Amino acid sequence: MILDYLVLSIVLFCLGILGVISRRNVFTVFMSIELMLNAANLAFIALSRLHESMDGQVLAMLVMAVAAAEAALALAVVILLHKHTGKLDTNVFSLLKG
Amino acid sequence: MEQSAAYLGLIPLLPLAGATIIGLLHLSSCQTCKLSERTYGILACIAPILTFLFAIKVFLDLHGLPVEARQISYQAFTWFKVGELDIAMGFFADPLSSLMLLFVTFTASLIHIYSIGYMAGDQTFGKFFAYLNLFLGMMLILVLGNGPVVMFVGWEGVGLCSYLLISYYSEDRANVLAGNKAFIVNRIGDLGFVLGMAFLFWAIGGSGFDYISLKANAHLLSSTTISLVCLLLFLGATGKSAQIPLYVWLPDAMAGPTPVSALIHAATMVTAGVYMVARFSFLYSLVPTVGLIVAWTGILTALVSAIYGMYQDDIKKVLAYSTVSQLGYMFAGVGLAAYSAGIFHVFTHAFFKALLFLGAGSVIYALHHEQNIWKMGGLRTKLPITYWTMLIGALALAGCPPFSGFFSKDEILYLALATGNPGIWLIGVLVAGMTAYYTFRMIFLVFHGSPRDQGLFDHAHEAPTVMTVPLIILAVGALFAGVLNLPAIFGGGQVVSHWLAPSLAELHPEASHETEILAIGASVVAFFIGITIAYRKFGSGAEVPVFTGFASFAYHTFRINELYDLLLVRPYKAIGSAIEYFFEPQVTDGPVQLTTWFYRAAGTVFKLLQVGYVRIYAIYMVIGLSLMSLLLSQSLK
Amino acid sequence: MIAQWLFYGFATLAVLGALGLILFQHPMNGAMCFIVTLISLAGLYALLSASLLFALQLIVYAGAIMSLILFIIMFLNIQATDLPEEKGRWTFLFGGILVIAPIGLFLLKVVKTLPQGETSIIGQDFGGVKKVGMVLFQDWLLPFEIVSILLLVALVGAVVLAGKKEMAS
Repeated sequence: MILDYLVLSIVLFCLGILGVISRRNVFTVFMSIELMLNAANLAFIALSRLHESMDGQVLAMLVMAVAAAEAALALAVVILLHKHTGKLDTNVFSLLKG
Repeated sequence: MEQSAAYLGLIPLLPLAGATIIGLLHLSSCQTCKLSERTYGILACIAPILTFLFAIKVFLDLHGLPVEARQISYQAFTWFKVGELDIAMGFFADPLSSLMLLFVTFTASLIHIYSIGYMAGDQTFGKFFAYLNLFLGMMLILVLGNGPVVMFVGWEGVGLCSYLLISYYSEDRANVLAGNKAFIVNRIGDLGFVLGMAFLFWAIGGSGFDYISLKANAHLLSSTTISLVCLLLFLGATGKSAQIPLYVWLPDAMAGPTPVSALIHAATMVTAGVYMVARFSFLYSLVPTVGLIVAWTGILTALVSAIYGMYQDDIKKVLAYSTVSQLGYMFAGVGLAAYSAGIFHVFTHAFFKALLFLGAGSVIYALHHEQNIWKMGGLRTKLPITYWTMLIGALALAGCPPFSGFFSKDEILYLALATGNPGIWLIGVLVAGMTAYYTFRMIFLVFHGSPRDQGLFDHAHEAPTVMTVPLIILAVGALFAGVLNLPAIFGGGQVVSHWLAPSLAELHPEASHETEILAIGASVVAFFIGITIAYRKFGSGAEVPVFTGFASFAYHTFRINELYDLLLVRPYKAIGSAIEYFFEPQVTDGPVQLTTWFYRAAGTVFKLLQVGYVRIYAIYMVIGLSLMSLLLSQSLK
Repeated sequence: MIAQWLFYGFATLAVLGALGLILFQHPMNGAMCFIVTLISLAGLYALLSASLLFALQLIVYAGAIMSLILFIIMFLNIQATDLPEEKGRWTFLFGGILVIAPIGLFLLKVVKTLPQGETSIIGQDFGGVKKVGMVLFQDWLLPFEIVSILLLVALVGAVVLAGKKEMAS
């Protein structure tokens, strides 16, 4: 049974990657990252159940805290982006072009 | 049996510290905050005088020891250690090095004092004295080093200082070229030295690579190895001591300031080769054949350079060729296993040749840097002190009894005869006559007759006291140094030979009194013939000669420089250009260019991947991750 | 048995929500779908006896973070014209699937090496506030404190970034 949870976690993680690399909308990209974090959380908790130890749950909590910090910063960046360009497109930034 | 003394390490350190201090002062001084020449002069003279006092202490310490145990040494630190090669920065004094130490520091002190006067008004006064002190430090390392490697440090160090000081007036391109020539020619000799050292180490170096261990293990060597090592070391000596075929740099080295010519290119550095052969006498005495090669090279050098000396018109060139010639005598001496005679000639030569050079410097100083002897004349009245001191020097050089040069030169010639080499003896006597001729040709042209250039003559004036006092002291030395080794036939005790005996593996050939008298007589006769011809031709003035035939050939030093240029320099340059214009762009640069081209092309291609969108970079990352997953899946069952 | 059915239900909902997130054009729709995923995950946590995490997932994630995101989306008043034109979206999606497939398969292989385990609810307060709190404040105190500093830094950073324009003007 635990394996099913882990498989679900893998599926969600891959969908998260897919969202990050295929979408240009800043919000979608951001939420895809959150999806990947959640997939990881699910794996942590499933393994915590498997080993009957609560360390995995603690780690999941820490991940949540980090996700909250990330959300605060990322949304600030999104607001700035929208203020400067009026767009929500990640392709607006191409300063790294060689 | 071996005494240790830490002050040995201090002896080279003092001039080196002096050089550092003076050099830093010179570098940090500007136009306005420039130190006075007086300050520099006093600073510069401290180190040589202190080292001279130490040299006396070394001498007295050695003297206090029993004859067989006359060695003191000091190991400062382990310099490097690679495999069997364990080299300590150590210093070692025995009778041989103590004698060298004494006259090196003595003449160096006097020449430092003299330079204060000679270099007055020079823009880079501090630099000059920094170099001189550095030279003295390196020379002392050479003399006191406890093994070939430490000696080599000094050997290269004095070469460097020689180069720096020859090119001292570097505004003139000719001087720079002369410096380069000296440096490059010396490199050829140094290659021999290094190879000789390497062979020696390969053969017996494993059980200690200092003189004491080498001497103890010398019997383990095969005679072929010894011959090879000795020949290679002698190649090094021909470079440093200006012997055939590498003597060409020394006449050009006269481009440096005259005190430098006196100190480095007459009295001390150029005798390093003789010192080195004497130092390795425990090897050279085992292979008489190589010794003969050394002796013949020396005596031929003496002959050739004496011929050149007879036709030169630059006062310093005359002295330079006489130096080469005298060095030839020294090598004839050490080559015939008469090490103490050779070293004794080094010793007396240091006095009279330094004296002659300083006297020449005084003349040049008086005539505002005019060096052509055909523009001088009648200076006897204008420069009395210089005249009388130089006359003593000239008599010593020409080998007039009882001046110092007579005894030392005669000793070598006598030993040539005693060891059964009449050929060497004959050439030696011939060269002695020629020496007398060209020396007095110079003296007569410079000091006698009537002035050839009235303007120069009128402005001539005697040098300041700071220059004349060293002249007088050296003149006293040139007069009496010979007495130290008075041969038994004159009732002398051969003090120097006995003093040197423990350091040298010397042969003492037996010869009859008649031989000795014959040798002495021949030398004296040669001297008188030489001086008479010189007096006949130049005693009361002579016109500027026009050289033709052989004389012209000799004036141009047998066109040896041109020959070397044709045979060695030009082919070398041709090879260089060939490499520059063909080999380098076509062969070696090809792969390099290809690599750069490849990287440029790769850069152009990869630049396309740098689209600037973070999302795309994420895709690259995921692709990488994906490929890694593929690989890892393979290994996972 | 019912737990299994619940798992399948939640799992289906979570996957569907995630698909909605990455497929909907407008971020508002995507966010709504994502909330479904998050709530389903909360249910899954409950099934895994992680009662505290179940609550936290609902309160912190589905509650706080997502309402923040929704608030910003509405605050920016996004019109259809503001959205980027994603012409090659489908190409990227299918290409992405091709690229990601090896990663997923590899992870599956790894997971298969793990032992199969029970998922029945464990009693004795497993995953409860007290037990998790004990572990958090004993074994994980230092990471916990570091994360608190991280949150503080993020707070300051967000204020500085978002307030920049006003401060400059």
